[in-house]
Amino acid sequence: MLEARNVAFGYTRGSRILDDVSVSIAPGSVVGLIGPNGSGKTTLLRLLNGTLTPLAGRVSLDGAALSTMRRLEVAKRIAVVPQETQVTFDFTVLEIVLMGRYAHLGAFAIEGPDDVAIARKAMASTGTAPLESRQFATLSGGEKQRVVIASAIAQSSGILLLDEPTTALDIGYQFEIASLLSSLNRERKTTMVVSTHDLNLAAMLCSELVLLKAGRVLAVGPTKDVLTTGNIRRLYDVDADVVFHPRAGHLTVVPVARAD
Amino acid sequence: MPARTDVRRRLTLTLTGFGALTVIVMLLAPLVGSTSISLSRVFDRSIPFSDNVDAQVFFVARLPRVIAAALVGAGFALSGVVFQGLLRNPLASPDTLGVAAGATLGAMLALTAHADFTIFGIGVVPLTSFAGTIGALAIVMAIAFARRRGTSSTVLLLAGIAIGALLAAAGRFIQYFADVTDTFKTVQWLMGSLDVGSYAPIVASLVPFGIACAGFVTLPRVLDLISLGDAAAEARGVDVVRMERIALVSASLSTGAAVSLGGPVYFVGIIVPHIVRLIVGADHRLVLPASALFGASFLIVCDLIARTIVAPVEMPVGIITAIIGGPFFLWLLFRGR
Amino acid sequence: MAAVSRQIGLRAKGLGLILGLALSLQPSALFAQARRIISIIPSTTEMLFAMGAGDRVIAIGTYDKYPPEAQKLPRVGALVDPNVEQILQMRPDLVVVYGTQTELERRLERANIPYYSYSHQGLPDIFSTMRSLGMRVGMAAQGEALAARLERQLAAIRARVANRPRPKTLLVMGREPGALRNIYASGGVGFLHDMLEAAGGTDALADIQRQSVDVSNEMVLARAPDVIIELRYTDEAINRADLDVWNRVSAVPAVKNHRVIVLTGDQFVVPGPRVADAVAKMAAAIHPEVGW
Repeated sequence: MLEARNVAFGYTRGSRILDDVSVSIAPGSVVGLIGPNGSGKTTLLRLLNGTLTPLAGRVSLDGAALSTMRRLEVAKRIAVVPQETQVTFDFTVLEIVLMGRYAHLGAFAIEGPDDVAIARKAMASTGTAPLESRQFATLSGGEKQRVVIASAIAQSSGILLLDEPTTALDIGYQFEIASLLSSLNRERKTTMVVSTHDLNLAAMLCSELVLLKAGRVLAVGPTKDVLTTGNIRRLYDVDADVVFHPRAGHLTVVPVARAD
Repeated sequence: MPARTDVRRRLTLTLTGFGALTVIVMLLAPLVGSTSISLSRVFDRSIPFSDNVDAQVFFVARLPRVIAAALVGAGFALSGVVFQGLLRNPLASPDTLGVAAGATLGAMLALTAHADFTIFGIGVVPLTSFAGTIGALAIVMAIAFARRRGTSSTVLLLAGIAIGALLAAAGRFIQYFADVTDTFKTVQWLMGSLDVGSYAPIVASLVPFGIACAGFVTLPRVLDLISLGDAAAEARGVDVVRMERIALVSASLSTGAAVSLGGPVYFVGIIVPHIVRLIVGADHRLVLPASALFGASFLIVCDLIARTIVAPVEMPVGIITAIIGGPFFLWLLFRGR
Repeated sequence: MAAVSRQIGLRAKGLGLILGLALSLQPSALFAQARRIISIIPSTTEMLFAMGAGDRVIAIGTYDKYPPEAQKLPRVGALVDPNVEQILQMRPDLVVVYGTQTELERRLERANIPYYSYSHQGLPDIFSTMRSLGMRVGMAAQGEALAARLERQLAAIRARVANRPRPKTLLVMGREPGALRNIYASGGVGFLHDMLEAAGGTDALADIQRQSVDVSNEMVLARAPDVIIELRYTDEAINRADLDVWNRVSAVPAVKNHRVIVLTGDQFVVPGPRVADAVAKMAAAIHPEVGW
């Protein structure tokens, strides 16, 4: 269980990006972080994986405060998929995926056959096995994200934090990634926290939602209870219809007008 | 190269291959030169060393030169790799971050002030140029790491460029007060020279090189991870702030020691990492040691050409590194992978 | 030897006369006495004072350190940074400039101020310049006298070393202090080389035919000079420890026989009236046995 209790954070004295935020991530769940730009979604994700230390409150993993755990220990259990990955040098797909094993190997150990096997399994799960020897930089957007997800799985099969995983992709790749995340959660029971702008993606993927506005939690709870026209208006100043779509099998959000 | 899954095998192959190259080059280079000497005379113990011209050519003129070329080439190549990884910029070079401008300023100060002391056989110019490097490094670190949370590479880059510009301006200011001879000497120093002529500066440079290497051995895997972004590296378990500091200090010490020994021959630090990457791939666990070895060999060969090709005169080694390095790089690029 | 030097002297005189005639054919001032002279070149400043035109010099260059009487005059820049505004403001009737200062020459032309264009390659140019400059400022006789006197002095030095063997000499113009690095030495051409020849030495790098040569440790050992002369241009004290660096190449005859000599003074970089003094010092260093 990954938990943040009453956490607050700010980079400079006097201004707080997050204030009194509490979230509980149950094992095996997919929790969505929704909120406008600047609401603190990325900051919350970085607090959840220990990259940032809260000014107040506490983030704990199975009861132990993250701040007391060693960096590598945390990395073995929580992995991050960033929005975009820019590579400076010509790494192959397999090399990128193997970087996920750093938390298990440290700076000096070299990956052995076990690590390569784990990496290959992760690539198989994400449908990227045929890309193994390709240069990462030559892949399409969707392929790149799938490789990065494989790298994250190779690092930790426990908890995945995803920072706007589909924002930079077109609708085809968005669907591809969304399906992949869904099946990973189903088959591997991977816990996920997904921050996103895409309300429909959230509705499709997440069993639970956390709504953030201006660094505070506006609402938290099961998706069907929290994803309402009223909450959307409060979050985005937008009048939207929230309707269950029978063919898609989940709620859909259609913005209709500005609500100011 | 065997399949890119087996890092261990590739590492062994890389180290053996480049290591053998370096050893061969280091053994052969002192035997070649613009003067013909007889090896039997060089090692003839019956002739007192102070009278043995051949021995002095070998042990005073050539051997220190080859060793210095190895250290300087390795030093610049290593700092080039680390700066490129640290700044996430394949075009970064040892002098991107202003620490090298500190070295130049130190050298200029010594030359313009007509200082001419030596300490333990090390001339004043290498000493002041190294001091300049340390000074510039201290300033860059103070600026870039002032924020508790460490630095993004952009902040580091901007701090480095700003300091570099300021120090270069200070250098020009000093030149304004210099007379023609001092300016000429400065220009000569800027062209680089591996003709150290003695072992004292080489031994002295081993101290900063040694410290730098202690830092370098912790870096290879970390550089791989950092090259994907600070946040991504952090998420994978890297202590980014600490490792970036180690990287900056090590690369700066290596640059400073190399400049003191051989002058500002920075091109080695840009081109050797690229050539090495074209051969061994992007994994820094291969690139870092291979660059050190190839940098050493490369500069030894360039210096050898510089001192023989237009005999009896010599060309500045910096010109040869560019003439050879540029086209070689293009050839490697176009032959495809 | 003496005959050759006399021939050189005669040729220089002839050249000087021709140059003088050519240069003096400028729109204004045909042999008229220049009364307000600016010289930004150390050697021409010294020449003007030496030929008695010192009281007509109204401004000098940044690096003109000799003679002492000139030091109180205002300075208007030098080769890279001539202060054109100040020069024009002082309304000279002759400005002595470097031949490469084309921009300055253009501006003087626009202001209708005559100028004398100076350039030199070797020792003979010093005498031809003295003569033509003398003619240009309307003191032809004094210029001639100065040149002739110096030529006689040089001839005398040449005569004294004429029958001596000429040692291979490495004339070091500068190096990195405290090390045997970035050594640059005379390579067979230029006025320092000419001075060396006049002083009775042979340039160890004569075959290279360059004014300045980068010399490596290997080259010094290979060339094996009998004498090494290091030139220093300021009057700072010589650091003994700095000279000890030559002991690293002890197999060089000059080092083994303790014939590494330092000569100080800026007369070695100023090709002017003190050239005879400079050559005499060199000759004394190369041929101490002659007795000076």
